[in-house]
Amino acid sequence: MISIDSVAYMSKLKKMEPRQKLAFALVTLGTCIWADYVIVSVAVIFIMGFTTVCRGGVPLRTFLRLFTVPMSFLLLSVITIAVNVSELPELLLISIPLSGKWIGVTRHGLHEAAGLFLKALGAVSCLYFLSLNTPMVDVLAALRKLKAPKLLVELMGLVYRFIFVLLETSNTIITAQNARLGYTRLSTGYHALGMLASSLFIRTYKRSDELYTALESRGYDGELNVLEEPYDSSLTGCAAAAAVNTVLILASIYLK
Amino acid sequence: MNENILEVRDLHYKYADGTQALKGVSLGIRRGKNTAILGGNGAGKSTLFLNFNGILRPSAGQVLCDGTPVEYSRNGLMALRRKVGLVFQDPDSQLFSASVFQDVSFGVMNLKLSETETRRRVHEAMERTGISHLKDKPTHCLSFGQKKRAAVAGVLAMEPEVLVLDEPTAGLDPMGVAEIMKLLKEAQTQLGLSVVISTHDIDIVPLYCDDVYVMEKGELLLQGTPKEVFTEAETLRRIHLRLPRIAHLMEILQKNDDFDFSDSAATISEARKVLKDWREHNR
Repeated sequence: MISIDSVAYMSKLKKMEPRQKLAFALVTLGTCIWADYVIVSVAVIFIMGFTTVCRGGVPLRTFLRLFTVPMSFLLLSVITIAVNVSELPELLLISIPLSGKWIGVTRHGLHEAAGLFLKALGAVSCLYFLSLNTPMVDVLAALRKLKAPKLLVELMGLVYRFIFVLLETSNTIITAQNARLGYTRLSTGYHALGMLASSLFIRTYKRSDELYTALESRGYDGELNVLEEPYDSSLTGCAAAAAVNTVLILASIYLK
Repeated sequence: MNENILEVRDLHYKYADGTQALKGVSLGIRRGKNTAILGGNGAGKSTLFLNFNGILRPSAGQVLCDGTPVEYSRNGLMALRRKVGLVFQDPDSQLFSASVFQDVSFGVMNLKLSETETRRRVHEAMERTGISHLKDKPTHCLSFGQKKRAAVAGVLAMEPEVLVLDEPTAGLDPMGVAEIMKLLKEAQTQLGLSVVISTHDIDIVPLYCDDVYVMEKGELLLQGTPKEVFTEAETLRRIHLRLPRIAHLMEILQKNDDFDFSDSAATISEARKVLKDWREHNR
C-alpha cells in the first residue's frame, strides 16, 4: 500500500485532472465487465498497462508485481468454477474417479474460468491505473468537486494523513520494544503486542486532542476548507480515453 | 498605539484536574520585538501560549491584545486568532493535510479572503519559509525540519501580528535551528512581526531575542534583556536552566582565573569585543 502511494506521487500523470483519470478508469472498468470477452479483457489490461507504464512512468516491475496481490485469491475462486463433478468421464478433459463419479475439468468450465480470471484482472488493472497515477490528495480533490459529502471527504483525508503518523509511531514503539527483547518469546511477544496496542490507543487519543487545538488556533470553524491547486486537463487525453472506449464497445457489440 | 502588542495581567490558569499551571503571571510582549520565554519543563510556558491565542480561557486575570481585553465570543476569538498565530511544538499534530500546499492554505481560507489574496499569502509564506519546492510533496515524506517549516508557513500565511512558537528549535539539527531562527528574524524585520518563542536552547537567546522572561512553577521569576537576565546565574541554575556557554566561559574566566573584563558577554561576537578590549587595556 505504501509503495502504491509513493509511486503515485512520482507518476508523470500526477498533474492531470483527477476527474478525468477517475472517469477513464471507471468507464473502462464498466466496459470490461459489460463486454465479458476475453479479447476485450486482455485489451483493457494492455491499455491500462501501457498508459501506466509508458505514459505514467511507473516501473513495469511495480505494475506486474501488484498483480500478484489479487492472484492467490483469484486463482482459488477460479478453480472452483473450472472444476466440475460429472458421471460421464468423456465430458471431462482431465479427471479423477471418486466414489463412482468423476471430478475434473470441462472445456466449457475452463473457458468460463479463464474468461472470469481475465475479466477480474482487467478490472483490477483499471483500478491500478487510477491508484498508481493519482495520489490520494487528488482523489479527494476530485471527490470534493464531484460534491461527495464533505464530512466523508474530510474524514478520508484525516484518516489518510494519520495512517502514516500511526505507522511511524508504531514502528518507533516496536523498535523500542525489540531493543529491550520484547518479542523474543511467544509469551513476551503477546505481552509486548498488548502494550503496543494500548499505548498506540492512548497516543492516538492525545494526538487527536492536539490536532483539534492546533486547528482551532488557525480559526477552525467546523469545516476543513483548503485551497486547491489547478490541474492540467488535456483534451487529447479525453479524446484518447473516449476513442479507446468506443473501439472496445463497438468491438464487443460486433462480437455479440 | 500601545507599545505592548500582547499583554497578560495577573493571569491564573487551573486545569480541570486541579493543576494550577499559572499563578498570577503579568508580562508584556513588545511590538516588533523578539521575546523569549524560558523555564524548565512544567513551568507553564505552553499553558501561557494557549492563553495568548484564546484556546484556554484564564481562570482569573486578563489577556490584552493591542491594549484591549480579549473577548471570548466567537467573533472575539476569531479576531484574536487573526492577530496572534500559534505554532505548536510537534508539527505532526499541527499538519492535518497530506498536501503541504493545502495545509498551508487552511488558516488563510478561514479568514475568508478573496482567492487571489489567499493564493498570494500561501505562496509568500511558502517562499519565506523555503518550502516552495515541497509544494507537491505529501506531508508524510517531509523531514522533521521541513515539517516544522511547513507548520510555521501555515501560521505565517495568516499574516498575524504576533507569532508565538512553542519550542521552535526542539528536535532540529544545528543547521535547522539556524535556518528557522533566521527566517523568524527576517519575518520580524520585514513584516514588523512580533515573535514570542519558548525554548530550552539557551544559546540562541542572546543571539536572537530582545526580551527574556523566565518562568518557574507558573510564576514569573525574572525579566529583562538577555544581558540583564543572564547576570542572575544562580537563580537560573536553581530552576535547572543555565547560562549561555559563552557567558559561562566568561564567568569562569572572571571568577577562577582573575580576568578583569569591562563587560559581560553571552555571544561569540560580544566575547570577541570584550576580549579585544581586555587586550588593549593590558598592553
